Amino acid sequence: MKDNNYIIHIENIYKFFHNITALKNVSLNIKPQEKVVIIGPSGSGKSTLLRTINRLEKIDKGRIIVDGQDITDKKCDINKIRMEVGMVFQNFNLFPHKTVLQNITMAPIKLKKIPPKEAEEIAYSLLKKVGIEDKANVYPAQLSGGQQQRVAIARALAMKPKVMLFDEPTSALDPEMIGEVLDVMINLAREGMTMVVVTHEMGFAREVADRVVFMDGGEILEQGTPEHFFTSPEHPRTKKFLSQIL
Amino acid sequence: MDKEKELKIDVTDGAAIPTKKDKGLFTAWWCTLIGALVLLFYLITFYADPYLRILKFVSDGIVVTFKVTFASIFFSLIVGLITGLGRISKNRVINLIASVYVEVIRGIPLLVQLFYIYYALGSFFTVPPFVAAITAMTVCYGAYMGEVFRAGIESIDHGQTEAARSLGFNGRQTMFYVIIPQAMRTILPPVGNEFIALLKDTSLVSILAVGDLLRRGREFATETFAYFETYTMVALIYLLITLILSKIVSISEEKMRPYER
Ligand SMILES: Nc1ncnc2c1ncn2[C@@H]1O[C@H](COP(=O)(O)OP(=O)(O)OP(=O)(O)O)[C@@H](O)[C@H]1O
Ligand SMILES: [Mg+2]
Repeated sequence: MKDNNYIIHIENIYKFFHNITALKNVSLNIKPQEKVVIIGPSGSGKSTLLRTINRLEKIDKGRIIVDGQDITDKKCDINKIRMEVGMVFQNFNLFPHKTVLQNITMAPIKLKKIPPKEAEEIAYSLLKKVGIEDKANVYPAQLSGGQQQRVAIARALAMKPKVMLFDEPTSALDPEMIGEVLDVMINLAREGMTMVVVTHEMGFAREVADRVVFMDGGEILEQGTPEHFFTSPEHPRTKKFLSQIL
Repeated sequence: MDKEKELKIDVTDGAAIPTKKDKGLFTAWWCTLIGALVLLFYLITFYADPYLRILKFVSDGIVVTFKVTFASIFFSLIVGLITGLGRISKNRVINLIASVYVEVIRGIPLLVQLFYIYYALGSFFTVPPFVAAITAMTVCYGAYMGEVFRAGIESIDHGQTEAARSLGFNGRQTMFYVIIPQAMRTILPPVGNEFIALLKDTSLVSILAVGDLLRRGREFATETFAYFETYTMVALIYLLITLILSKIVSISEEKMRPYER
């Protein structure tokens, strides 16, 4: 088994919530620098799949290897892996009791023992990258949703992750703010970041994705390039889903 | 721009804490304070004998009451934090121990606990009454504080934990860097309430030969037979302390409020 080619290797995984099968024999391999967009109807298991990659959700069967480490192995230090896997949530989940700057520098200082000065420099350059350098010293509550989400992206990037996971990063935003967050993500993609993105933004998928994965009922039903999806989807449920969403 | 959710934990039997918004209570607080102060100064000026004598006699008792209160609060916050963490622990044994502790303490009157701890401890070693008193207050209020901490911690959105864990913080770091600092905000009002309730409950330790305010009053009364005058004074002093403390609590609460700036 040549796991080495893949930064994420998901092998026949299952996830149950009581009597619900949230993931049913899912396999997925992702290469470094690849951008994978996961789509599918509500409740199809997209978030659950994404969250198994950093073990926010523990799987019941199967195997997941992230950057050469079997994270389903009990001996694996999951906190080490999580430092390499950034995650961005639908609801931002910024720390409200910390300033923007502190939100970004906290993990590098506490977990990587980076000197505060250096961590702040990194934070400022990240804030510049996401276009809100001037907000370093305010609290999250004083920012718009779009700004908060950009800070959340900067916070994840501060750990210099090898992979970024996004779970519907624009779904909680007012329409006029979606663009600014997507722009940041598109730039990140251009820089070569490995990205796994759950989203309903088909424009983003078309522009950025190397591969689109369609899920339904806890299974991956179809995957391929964006062109394939938007011109000649095969599975009837994919067709139905796309016709509803486009 | 999401609306800030205001989480309030049910208050227990502490004094009503006035806030600016609460106009009725605010004026009630002023009326009571001014009334009590006027009465106090009237009595010690125009009836210096016995009132001023009483005040002088019990003054060291006031100090003892404060000592017992502050020591008990300090230790019960520590016990409360541990208990609260125990109550939300996924470890079944720890969780059970913490829950049984809370259950037992809640079911026994404080006065009975005081007797029990004093004499139970006393049958193994000689404990100074002062230590016994603080131990008993801590054991009792630690359980209440535990419930306050638990509620405060549970009031924090689970997304906070997920965000911290996804950055690589372990469970303990998440608790101490992210959850508890935020929980403090919801915890402060009920802790302030417990603080005032505890101060009043320290009057119970007077039965343990601790020379607190109430006990010193009793000593004066039995000597002079001036029961009415003595207990008037004692009640006035408790009232004034409680009024001032509740004000301090409400001010610090207001200072604590927003995360802005
Ligand atoms: N913590 C949980 N407890 C119980 N059931 C859950 C839990 N999380 C997810 N599920 C269930 O698992 C299934 C997959 O959920 P998941 O959140 O992965 O779907 P999704 O594709 O992300 O949907 P959406 O587009 O609505 O976010 C759903 O049936 C959901 O109800
Ligand atoms: Mg989801």
